[in-house]
Amino acid sequence: MSATAEARFAEATQLQLTWWRFRRHKLAVASLFVIALFYLIAIFADFLAATDPHATDARRSFIPPQGIHFFDDSGFNPHVYGLRGVRDPRTFQLTYAPDPARKLPVRLFVRGFTYDLFGLIETDIHLFGVVGGRPGESAFLLGTDQLGRDLFSRLMVATRISLVIGLAGVTLSLFLGVLLGGISGLYGGWVDTLIQRLIELLRSVPTIPLWMGLAAALPRTWSVLQVYFAITLIISLIGWTELARVVRGRFLALREEDFVIAAELSGASQGRIIFRHMLPSFASHIIAATSLALPAMIISETSLSFLGLGLRPPAISWGILLQDAQNIQVLANAPWLLMPAIPVTLIILAFNFFGDGLRDAADPYG
Amino acid sequence: MRRREMGVLAFTGLAGAATAQTAGGFRDSGLVGRLEGPNIITDPARRPTQFKEAPMLAEQVRAGRLPPVEQRLPQDVMVVEPLRSVGKYGGTWRRGFIGPSDGENGNRIMSADKPLFFDPSGTELRPQLAKGFEVSADGKRTTLHLRRGLKWSDGTPHTADDWMFWFNDLYTNRDLVPAPAPELSSNGKPGRMVKVDEATIAFEFDEPYYLFPMLLAGDTLVGGGQTRLQSNGQTYALYAPAHYLSRYLPKNTPVETLTAQARAAGFNNWVQHFKFLSDWQLNKDVPTLCAWRMVQPINTQLWVLERNPYFYAVDTEGQQLPYIDRVQMTLAENPEVVNLRAVAGEYDYQERFMDLGKLPVFIENQQRSHYKVHLDPGFNGADSVLFPTLTYTEDAEIGDLLRKVEFRRALALGIDRDQLNEAFWLGLGTPGSTIPDESLPESPGGEWRQKWSTHDPAQANRLLDAIGLTRKDREGFRLRRDNGQRLRIEIAVGQTLSATWPQQAEMISQHWRDIGIATDVKVMERSLWYTRAYGDKHQIALWTNNGTESLYLYPRYVLPVDPIGGVISNVYAAWFASNGERGSEPPDPEMRRAFALMRAATGQQKAERDATAKEVWKIAVDQQWGIGLVGLSPAFMGVRVVNERLENVPGRTGISQHCRTPWGGHPEQWYFKT
Repeated sequence: MSATAEARFAEATQLQLTWWRFRRHKLAVASLFVIALFYLIAIFADFLAATDPHATDARRSFIPPQGIHFFDDSGFNPHVYGLRGVRDPRTFQLTYAPDPARKLPVRLFVRGFTYDLFGLIETDIHLFGVVGGRPGESAFLLGTDQLGRDLFSRLMVATRISLVIGLAGVTLSLFLGVLLGGISGLYGGWVDTLIQRLIELLRSVPTIPLWMGLAAALPRTWSVLQVYFAITLIISLIGWTELARVVRGRFLALREEDFVIAAELSGASQGRIIFRHMLPSFASHIIAATSLALPAMIISETSLSFLGLGLRPPAISWGILLQDAQNIQVLANAPWLLMPAIPVTLIILAFNFFGDGLRDAADPYG
Repeated sequence: MRRREMGVLAFTGLAGAATAQTAGGFRDSGLVGRLEGPNIITDPARRPTQFKEAPMLAEQVRAGRLPPVEQRLPQDVMVVEPLRSVGKYGGTWRRGFIGPSDGENGNRIMSADKPLFFDPSGTELRPQLAKGFEVSADGKRTTLHLRRGLKWSDGTPHTADDWMFWFNDLYTNRDLVPAPAPELSSNGKPGRMVKVDEATIAFEFDEPYYLFPMLLAGDTLVGGGQTRLQSNGQTYALYAPAHYLSRYLPKNTPVETLTAQARAAGFNNWVQHFKFLSDWQLNKDVPTLCAWRMVQPINTQLWVLERNPYFYAVDTEGQQLPYIDRVQMTLAENPEVVNLRAVAGEYDYQERFMDLGKLPVFIENQQRSHYKVHLDPGFNGADSVLFPTLTYTEDAEIGDLLRKVEFRRALALGIDRDQLNEAFWLGLGTPGSTIPDESLPESPGGEWRQKWSTHDPAQANRLLDAIGLTRKDREGFRLRRDNGQRLRIEIAVGQTLSATWPQQAEMISQHWRDIGIATDVKVMERSLWYTRAYGDKHQIALWTNNGTESLYLYPRYVLPVDPIGGVISNVYAAWFASNGERGSEPPDPEMRRAFALMRAATGQQKAERDATAKEVWKIAVDQQWGIGLVGLSPAFMGVRVVNERLENVPGRTGISQHCRTPWGGHPEQWYFKT
């Protein structure tokens, strides 16, 4: 290491150090971009959706993914062909044949269904769509489901709900974890014992049956929105235990550190010690733990909904989309409906790599 | 000779309808066969004199555990002429069921204990437990001639005393039977059961009751048979095994002893214990008269039935039926899994839960999984019906709306049935109201299929505006009139019978967005759905009206007249069934008019009765007590997956509640080719 580099290293703030360290983990950096992309999708879900994700039309059920043709005789002119569904009288199979006479141009920023951008601005502009099609015609990039709903549009909206649930669940877990873990580590004694045994008790129960029990206890009369929040609660109910353990461990370790004792001797209040001295020194750990907890949350929601215990239609989440694919017709004749498994895998991997990189980086002197 | 008789019959009823029906799309597939079934031979000259039995029973006879077959069969043995060929003994019939709430799955196979039954066309009466019946000229007395020498599955003789035991000791006990069977009343006046001799029973009524023999064959509280009506907490049917059950009644044993016995068996009181003991699905000791008897109960992974050594029927060569040794039903988590296993060829005959929408998959896998697909289009108007609960009280505003005919009509007009047909009926069903096939004598005619049952959002919106639902929120949903909140209507869907009911409801909720109605779809397990249905707790229930192709035999999905119906209104049904003793009278004059017509019909002869039925249907459609979606298709038990090796299976069976599908195909004479 050269002298200037060493000097920079010595002068760098913790954040800079963390960032330098993190940058060295290539996979984590790539994952960061994937995560950013997913959250962008979550923010602009309605804008990206080409058709109303709830709009059903039986005349376009089980359309296979449709490719966009970019060129025609006149040069660059992205388009899809109109489809004609024909049912075979013997096998009852509905097959779609492109109609070469009906060319539907695909354009950017077209008008479609109305939605509220950021929940505030009412608009009907969408990223792409077909121009001049009959009602119900569109470009079905990922095909349609049994009710003729556009899978691509549904996937966009599902991304938002699944990621938000993950985020909300983790926030709640974080709050519970830091609070209870902090109390446990700081005070020790019987409070510590009580909280630790509670954590052990919760962790010893197999999660799926526990979720099933809790989810089954949700009143059937609750609205979709209420269920949504209840599910988040249920998921984070388990999630906080891991975080609480980490926080407690850090508190126990730091309690004996010289700078804490020094602060105590200088007469700092307990609040000041905790928030000014202790918390910053393990905040990075918490962030890393959080980013590792997120994929677990997302998987939890997906599996609960997949089992029919989590969110329920008309809510759209990855789990709901996969649940729709849970039948023999799909496996035999519409395998594209299994697509939503891909983003689930991607985001889980991304979060894991990202969390991994963050954990390494969080301890830049290590 | 019998065949010619059937040919004549073919011009009436379901068989006639089958030829007149325009189920064109399904017909072209070549999967719709001929309505047919085995003959019941009544000519004593053709009765076999030598009897044979299954090897598994012969073995028990040799070991001395069972009397010889001649002593087990009744003098008046039922002779069944197999549909195509005389069969061979053996084999297991593999089926799927979806849990303890799926008792009907087995009840239907255990249908040989009904007093009378129907021919394959579902219109003409055929002998069963009774070898015959007659109705007096004034219609006030129906005499039933039981088979002499009939025996329960434990070998005890079955006589008129078993019938009187039920009538005197069980039916009159209000702990066991809280509500009388409306079928045992003519025009609201209760009738009597009388023992004529050991094998003859008479029913006496104060007013003419020409309809009664039909009810003895239908899936009614008098015709359903012991297995169907003495399970799931019921104690109807017309007879019960006196030798087995009488000692569990307070009349014959002190209540303290009975209570102690009940406690020891894990029940709170003797009534619960009694209902367990009489339930064939749970208690394998209760004797039966059916072709099979239960050996492994419904609350296990495998629900197993085994041949009844005392079954009363033989084939033309004197072989005691059934041919098949065992029926084995495997538990599946939900209908979807049943479909999956059917495609894998794991069932020998499965019609229950088969999803019409999966027909392409079934057809595609025929060769690979060695089965054959049959389609049996139904004659009922709607395979899916939305039933608004008229006496819903949990939410006063919604209850009030559901009672308004304008609201029900608006909901009906807000549904795009062509979309549903395309998505779930392969575009081959018939969209429309609830009325049965136009070719049936009870149908009010084609224009009633369209009535309030087209897609007309504009008219629906006008109707909703007219009843004061004018205010809307910014998403276009109408607001409640009481508190200004968004009006939310629930559709309750039972997770049973049709795998696609939840999706159908979801699609309807999309259609209703256009008329400003927000809808929540509530999917629930079958028994929960039923519990809530019996409490009038569903706002709108999604069910089928299969069975209503014969109004008087199964009116529960047309009018609330049957206390075990569960939809439209249990309060009104209790009032109707108890002749005003319980429940409450419907304030709606149209409902009262329909009730009066139903009462009057019991004393009418066929032609007059059919005219009355037309009238009832017109009221029901006009009032939209049931909102019909799509029907006249094989969606309800009409998609059959049958093992290639199974013989004597009809080309087409009558898909009807009173035909007890699949019993109408006479499984006792099916056999496996080797």
